[in-house]
Amino acid sequence: MAEFEGFAYDVVVVGSGAGGGMAAHTLVQEGLRVLMLEAGRDYDPLEETPMFQTHAEAPLRGASTPDKNFGYFDATVDGGWQVPGEPYTTADGTKFMLWRSRMLGGRTNHWGRYVPRFGPYDFKPKSRDGRGDDWPIDYDEMAPWYDRTDKLVGVCGDNPGLDNIPDIPEGVMQPPPKPRIQEILLKKACESLGIPVISMRRAVLTEAVEDGRSACFWATNCGRGCSIGAAFQTTTSLIPFALKTGRLKVVTDAMVKWVHTGEGNKANAVTFVDRKTMDDVRVDAPRVVLAPSATETARILLNSRTEQNPQGLANSSGQVGRNLMDSTGAGISGQIPALRGRPRYNEDGHTANHYYVPWWGYQDQADGKLDFPRGYHFEFGGRFGEPNIYSGGGVQGYGKAAKQAVRDGYGSGVYLSLRGEMVPNEHCFCEIDPDVKDKFGIPVLKFHWKWGESEIKQVEHGLEWGAKIIEAMGGTVTSPQRTGEEAILAGGQIIHEVGTTRMGSDPETSVTNKHGQTWDVDNLFVMDGGVFVSSPHQNCTITIMTLAMKNATWMAEQIKGGRL
Amino acid sequence: VSGLVRKEIDRRTAIKWMTGMAATVVTVGITGREAGAELAAPAADATGTWPNLDLTPITGPGYGTDPDLVRPKTLWPLTLSEAEKRLIDQLADIICPADEGGPSAVAVGVTAVIDEWVSAPYESQQADRLLIVPGLVWINEEAQRRFGKDFGQASDAQRLNLIDDIAWWGDPTPDELHMPKRFFDKLRQLVLGAYFSSPEGVKDIGYLGNMPISGPWPGPSREAVLHLNGVLESLGFEPEPLPAG
Repeated sequence: MAEFEGFAYDVVVVGSGAGGGMAAHTLVQEGLRVLMLEAGRDYDPLEETPMFQTHAEAPLRGASTPDKNFGYFDATVDGGWQVPGEPYTTADGTKFMLWRSRMLGGRTNHWGRYVPRFGPYDFKPKSRDGRGDDWPIDYDEMAPWYDRTDKLVGVCGDNPGLDNIPDIPEGVMQPPPKPRIQEILLKKACESLGIPVISMRRAVLTEAVEDGRSACFWATNCGRGCSIGAAFQTTTSLIPFALKTGRLKVVTDAMVKWVHTGEGNKANAVTFVDRKTMDDVRVDAPRVVLAPSATETARILLNSRTEQNPQGLANSSGQVGRNLMDSTGAGISGQIPALRGRPRYNEDGHTANHYYVPWWGYQDQADGKLDFPRGYHFEFGGRFGEPNIYSGGGVQGYGKAAKQAVRDGYGSGVYLSLRGEMVPNEHCFCEIDPDVKDKFGIPVLKFHWKWGESEIKQVEHGLEWGAKIIEAMGGTVTSPQRTGEEAILAGGQIIHEVGTTRMGSDPETSVTNKHGQTWDVDNLFVMDGGVFVSSPHQNCTITIMTLAMKNATWMAEQIKGGRL
Repeated sequence: VSGLVRKEIDRRTAIKWMTGMAATVVTVGITGREAGAELAAPAADATGTWPNLDLTPITGPGYGTDPDLVRPKTLWPLTLSEAEKRLIDQLADIICPADEGGPSAVAVGVTAVIDEWVSAPYESQQADRLLIVPGLVWINEEAQRRFGKDFGQASDAQRLNLIDDIAWWGDPTPDELHMPKRFFDKLRQLVLGAYFSSPEGVKDIGYLGNMPISGPWPGPSREAVLHLNGVLESLGFEPEPLPAG
């Protein structure tokens, strides 16, 4: 055991978000002692969450600014598309955006809480269409871990019984909320086109649980964080649960820059910069779990290069930083004239879509009917939301008529957000920028990005079908006519970046084995999205957490068995 | 000049789809227009040029990347002059007067919101300031040219005569009205947005959320489903069962 500030520990976990929070919680439940290093500041959702504050109480009515990219109340500390003093760079011609936060719990404090799990097809994409690679695990191996993770996290949803959407056993999920008016219309319209619409599985408690978290009370946006613990974040759940055992110590303001190795190429220490003093602090590390996010893990490994590991740590394959993926993203908006002036009611619900459009083209792809290999889903927006400073847009004239036009239009707009799977390609990767360092003196990442033809064609299909859906709802498309190339959002913009330390069954082409254990350094594990082999369209976080739980359990067994 | 008949959406307005709001052609009330129409239409050469004010953008710290979210504060100094704020009051009264649904924009303090907005040290707000501040100068200069007095001293009919020329995106828009129309578009958006996001405006528009509910989410009201069923019927879809009550 190592010791830091009087606390003895078996494992150092870097990061406190989805991967780090679950890794630490799992290890602690297995009886091990964990030192967690978080780059951001301490954060207390009980005290700091703006529950019920209105836009009128915020500067600029809560609008997005360069300081708070997702608006004033968003639960992101010292972050967003830029972190002060901590740049990243992009290659010429690359558009890539990286969202970070510097707070305990990381991005779990504000995430969308959409938790559709991957299905059987998603772990074997190469077997289906010949592209990318298969995962070294399959759905059947993951299923019990998904169940355990869903149960611990708290997920509402149901079983629609559709292709590649696995049924979840009785007793795992809580009931989903009913659909809103526009979602009922969406469902009827899509069904007339032969497209399903189903409940979104979401990490929101709809019933109270015994660990002290409350059921959702159907108000105040989840993106602000949730002081009652209904919307999942590690700072109201995994971290306090683990702290309660006395076997976890959290060190915040600890910006990790190196993992050190010694005899037998085993990890033996971690150096972090204390954000408050700017001093380097070296802590012993009997075993290390990296989970600071896919790209930050790649950065630490590449920056940890030594004579013994000249390509960077755990990088004999040369794959660290490679295979960078995000979800594809594009938006289509519409206006439903028949919904203008519709009767008001409280439509907040759990503040995100209750219903969405899952991918409906698996069979068509298997039959070779589509000209792109991977699927997408549409998240759906459209409700009586809290008015904001932009609520007066889109009207002309002035006076009582203009005022009435705003009232009439309220709740009659719809929005389809495409989120799709990309095929990994050689043009998408990150590396260490040889010239630029952050304020801690740590070399930063440089991103390279190019969407492939698969992604552009997929988005074009989505634009076409999104328009058909809006028209079937009796609406008109209000977003401009665009090509796939014009509509697709930047790499990284969907904040699903994964793949930079992928797992595999071959040490020559992957960074870790199926347990997230790096091939080169057996006491070094990766438990964030870095280990993803592909980037299915289903939102990535529940799979990050499930893999972290599964792999931390395996790691604990090795430690307790004296093998690690 | 004023594009009395057709009000089409131009590219700029089309971009408003991003706000998620209705970007449809709005049938505009004619009260103001009739009043304005009693005056002779001004000759095109009566319209002056956009003032070049050489404004220095406001810079400096904003609220930062870790502001207090629970007790929000605005930290930057306000910059509009008393005369500018008076003129915004007068324009806001035209854009968003009191009616059966709610008070006027001025009564709920939108001018202070706009002052905070254009004084904010952020790029987007500073771009808006470069429309709003010169636009206010243009309004007065244009009133002087047309009526020999500032906008504030002009009669109601004269004011509307001027506003009617910049309140619609007609086709074509003469070059000299392009910037004034962009100004008015931005001001209208801010006035209506600040009004409807104020506590009074939230009530006016009928936002009923931000209220905790215990138990399962109750779903749409009976009245809301009845209305939806009319929509479903018109599209040939099966009706939704009505909730009890």
